[in-house]
Amino acid sequence: MSDLVILKSNRYGINLLLDANASFLSIQEAVIEKFQESEKFFKNAKVGISFEGRTLSHEEERSLIEAIHEHSSVEILCIIDQDFKSEESTRQRVESTLATLSQVQPAEGQVDYGDYYKGTLRSGQSIVSEGNLIIVGDVNPGAHVSAAGNIIILGALKGNVQAGNTGDDSCFVFALQMNPIQIQIGTYIAKSPDREKGKRRIRRSGKDNLIEVQIAFVKNDAIYIEPVSKSILKNI
Amino acid sequence: MGEVIVITSGKGGVGKTTTTANVGTGLAQLDKKVVMIDTDIGLRNLDVVMGLENRIVYNLVDVIEEKCRLKQALIHDKKYPELYLLPSAQTRDKDSVSPEQMVALINQLREEFDYILLDCPAGIEQGFKNAIAGADRALVVTTPEVSAVRDADRIIGLLEANEIKQIDLLVNRLRMDMVKRGDMMNVDDVTDILAVNLIGAVPDDEHVVISTNNGEPLAGNNTLAGQAYSNICKRILGEEVPFLDLDEVKGVFGKLKELFKKN
Repeated sequence: MSDLVILKSNRYGINLLLDANASFLSIQEAVIEKFQESEKFFKNAKVGISFEGRTLSHEEERSLIEAIHEHSSVEILCIIDQDFKSEESTRQRVESTLATLSQVQPAEGQVDYGDYYKGTLRSGQSIVSEGNLIIVGDVNPGAHVSAAGNIIILGALKGNVQAGNTGDDSCFVFALQMNPIQIQIGTYIAKSPDREKGKRRIRRSGKDNLIEVQIAFVKNDAIYIEPVSKSILKNI
Repeated sequence: MGEVIVITSGKGGVGKTTTTANVGTGLAQLDKKVVMIDTDIGLRNLDVVMGLENRIVYNLVDVIEEKCRLKQALIHDKKYPELYLLPSAQTRDKDSVSPEQMVALINQLREEFDYILLDCPAGIEQGFKNAIAGADRALVVTTPEVSAVRDADRIIGLLEANEIKQIDLLVNRLRMDMVKRGDMMNVDDVTDILAVNLIGAVPDDEHVVISTNNGEPLAGNNTLAGQAYSNICKRILGEEVPFLDLDEVKGVFGKLKELFKKN
């Protein structure tokens, strides 16, 4: 039985030499047995795996890996093609997989830190952040806020704002009261609507009970400002 | 030790000088020893509003350049013995004075006066920097217009950056009829944007123009604007004074109109 599977390993990978003629089920059992035997040796290892001696379908590969996960503490990071089974190439593959795994938290290209400012930003004042930006307070007309990432304003936005100033169109601007003079997201720019003739914009009637939290983002080559809802937040 | 208040606005023509004259007069009426300094070098007019133009011999720049003693340049008010004016120079410009020199001058005056009022020029350049250099607190004057409010916002930002802790807001030239029609911001709209303490609102009153032309500040008299300025002075001293109802119904016709509205 133990001849069905021969297990070889180096620092980064495990090579399984599988019997070509036995049934898949018996091979699977043999693999589980092998890993249970060497449980202590492999303890919590993060490795790549390669299969040899037998052509496996994707389903079979997957069920083998699941079986290994279930019956041992070995973590299989990736499957290595048989053509690249030298230790060096295995190492490279495993390390690059590890590196991408550690970057999962912020999605690719997204900045993962933020700056924080509390207070009213007044006309002539500006804040530039290389990350995300959180402002607790109002951004008054004439003030300028710019960030490489997203901008979150817990207050009224009445000035100019630029999210994704390095050209990232996927950024968003969030404000408790959205009334910017100009809004820029990545490569897109939008301005506030011109004052309509005869329409008085001087006083905002009932402003106190009409606070609507809004979010601005790029969709279909245009900047949209919409009330915040769960479905919008999910898609951002 | 006296308190130094700078009266500023950013935008021109909103009533800084009128406010300085009236606040100075109002504080003098409350038995405080007050000196008003016109820091608008080259465009002086506080002396005109106070009606003291003809008494100027020496001015602020003369004092700074030590051409005269400080006492010689101080002008006594006509009515109030405890009210003084230090006029600015008309033939010089803002660069004649540096912020350090202003601070030194103000510290000299601090010992003798209860209140030192600095009438700041419009703009945010040298003149503004001179005026705010020695100030303890600021009175920001604005009118209920978007342009004036925008400038006031900028000024408040600069004052905060210069670590002037106490900033009060005066809304000038309020027209209640326009506010009612929805054509003008009301006081709440302004304070909502500027987010600083409101010290008072002054109605747009033709008596203000008349008093300016006569060179007699109206603080304390029975006009609505005069009352408003008096109340502002009391609030500067720290008193709690309720805000005036600026929406005064005028005459029999106005009262009739009000009756009809109610029905």
